[in-house]
Amino acid sequence: MEERKFNTLQMIALVVLRVMIGWHFLYEGVAKLMKGNWSAAGFLLQSKWLFAGIFKWIANTPDVLSAINLMNIWGLIAIGLGLMLGCFTTIASLAGMALILLYYVCNPPFVGLFYSIPMEGHYMIVNKNVVEMAALFVIAVTGTGRFAGLDRILHKMFGKKK
Amino acid sequence: MSEDKKEIRKETSDKDDGKKLGRRDFLQGLATVPVIGLFGAALLKEASFKKSRKAAKAAAVPGKLSELNVALLGQGAQGEVLLNAMLKMPGLRFRAVCDIWTEYNQRRAVNLLKKYDFQVNAYENYQDMLEKEKDLDAVVIATPDFWHAQHAVDCLKAGLNVYCEKEMSNTLEGARRMVLAARETGKLLQIGHQRRSNPRYQHCYNVILGEANMIGRIVTINGQWNRSAQPDLGWPQKYAIPDARIKKYGFKSMAQFRNWRWFKGLGGGPIVDLGSHQIDIYNWFLKTHPVAVTASGGTDYYPKESHEWYDTVMAIFEYETKEGRVRAYYQTQTTNSSQGYFENFMGDQGTLVISETGKRGSVYREISAPPWDEWVRKGYVTAPKILEQKPEEETEAVLDVRETISPDEHKLPVEFNDPYHKPHLENFFNAVRGEGKLNCPAEVGYESAVSVLKVNQAIEAGRRLEFDPKEFTV
Repeated sequence: MEERKFNTLQMIALVVLRVMIGWHFLYEGVAKLMKGNWSAAGFLLQSKWLFAGIFKWIANTPDVLSAINLMNIWGLIAIGLGLMLGCFTTIASLAGMALILLYYVCNPPFVGLFYSIPMEGHYMIVNKNVVEMAALFVIAVTGTGRFAGLDRILHKMFGKKK
Repeated sequence: MSEDKKEIRKETSDKDDGKKLGRRDFLQGLATVPVIGLFGAALLKEASFKKSRKAAKAAAVPGKLSELNVALLGQGAQGEVLLNAMLKMPGLRFRAVCDIWTEYNQRRAVNLLKKYDFQVNAYENYQDMLEKEKDLDAVVIATPDFWHAQHAVDCLKAGLNVYCEKEMSNTLEGARRMVLAARETGKLLQIGHQRRSNPRYQHCYNVILGEANMIGRIVTINGQWNRSAQPDLGWPQKYAIPDARIKKYGFKSMAQFRNWRWFKGLGGGPIVDLGSHQIDIYNWFLKTHPVAVTASGGTDYYPKESHEWYDTVMAIFEYETKEGRVRAYYQTQTTNSSQGYFENFMGDQGTLVISETGKRGSVYREISAPPWDEWVRKGYVTAPKILEQKPEEETEAVLDVRETISPDEHKLPVEFNDPYHKPHLENFFNAVRGEGKLNCPAEVGYESAVSVLKVNQAIEAGRRLEFDPKEFTV
């Protein structure tokens, strides 16, 4: 058996965390897909911090916007599936962190910044995006895919033998 | 020997770790795949839900419904019930909310309407509202009984059509003023006896009693509304209404404001709050009003200081119908909820049990009556469910020759799953649009008010009181 730092119960808890985040990402992607006309424009246009310029440019350039919309939807779906199945878990969680970081940086909850599509709840610097990023960090470094996920099979079949 | 053993052990332990892909790896590897199945199932459910909602919306819009401007006068418990029903009805534009409890009732109503994208003006005094709001078509009144007359009359005179909660008024004099005001202004006044528009009740009236005359000649009626003992209504301390305002609107205290139904001069007690609905049904189904009433009642359970009206009432009405005399019993108690609320019409050919709750609605054929196959075939009632017959017991006891076997139970075929008040409100607003007539106009509400208010008088008088037919007309 590979050396594990956690006992079974702890690994199960981490697997549950991974699957829940996976479901969240997957549904976010699928719901936007089913809606048919979802666009990131509204969200991008209310950007208010350092990178506001870039985000607003994306929103105002139709070709770039539609590419971004597509990448966002399918990115969410891919990351969601990866996490739920425990497949390429590390890549999926790092990609998830990067995606959420983009969302965060677009609308950070800093003092003095108000948004027309506000996130439900009260936040000061740390909001739900930050929490989910931190959770994905945990998933990225704890190898839950190899414990209970397709990664276990993939690793056994194709992984580097010691 | 020991070396062999070591080798064997090594082989077996190799199976599920290290290089070989074993069964355990597969199972644990695929452990989270079923979650995708769950996700898919939930997604399908949501998709079909959205589809059915869309279909319902498309079906519900019967072409363009002309929009009516509506004001809400009184947003307490009953006002909230009416508003929730109205929010499910297209074609209504809410413009104003008036309630003296600005901190609580008014705020709740305004916030709820905001969620539905209605920006309403909020008033404490209804006269301000009538002055400042132009273009109103209708007002829905759900204030305490003792305010009904003044509110309704002023609103009618201001040119509004009025839906007024029952009881019409806590005094006959007030009710009379309402009928006259409706007549003079020519505006519509619907009294909130919502069962009159309930499709299940209408089926009973039109089909079971009307066309099919299924239960024959009605001879007796039994009805009740039994409710559990409940403490007085309280209120959040921080939202208490200041004394000056409470007194300005006719209440002695916050406690009285919250429990007005129990106080003389404000409401009529349970017989009016609850009984008026069902006694109205008695009048409706018998197609006439009572000729006499005998009643017994008292504040038997609750303290008299906070419950001036009777918490327990038993009344016997006498009717003279075209077929003959009918005696109708009615009781209401607020100390026990046994069997809840219902009306039971007993005729020589059958029994009709009906209640506003969908759980009760059955017709039973008397053994001696002609068969009901035709009505079952026509779908007026469902096919009979034969009530359980107990197996014959080994007993010496002789069956009483006068015992009759329980009749079969037929159910009402009408399904009704909307909020209870919705059909009655729809009936009102359609009439305002010029389509259809009111199911409970002021004159009809007045007849019920006369019938019901007399019960309290009969209790005080301690004897049988007769109705003069002229009492029922204004």
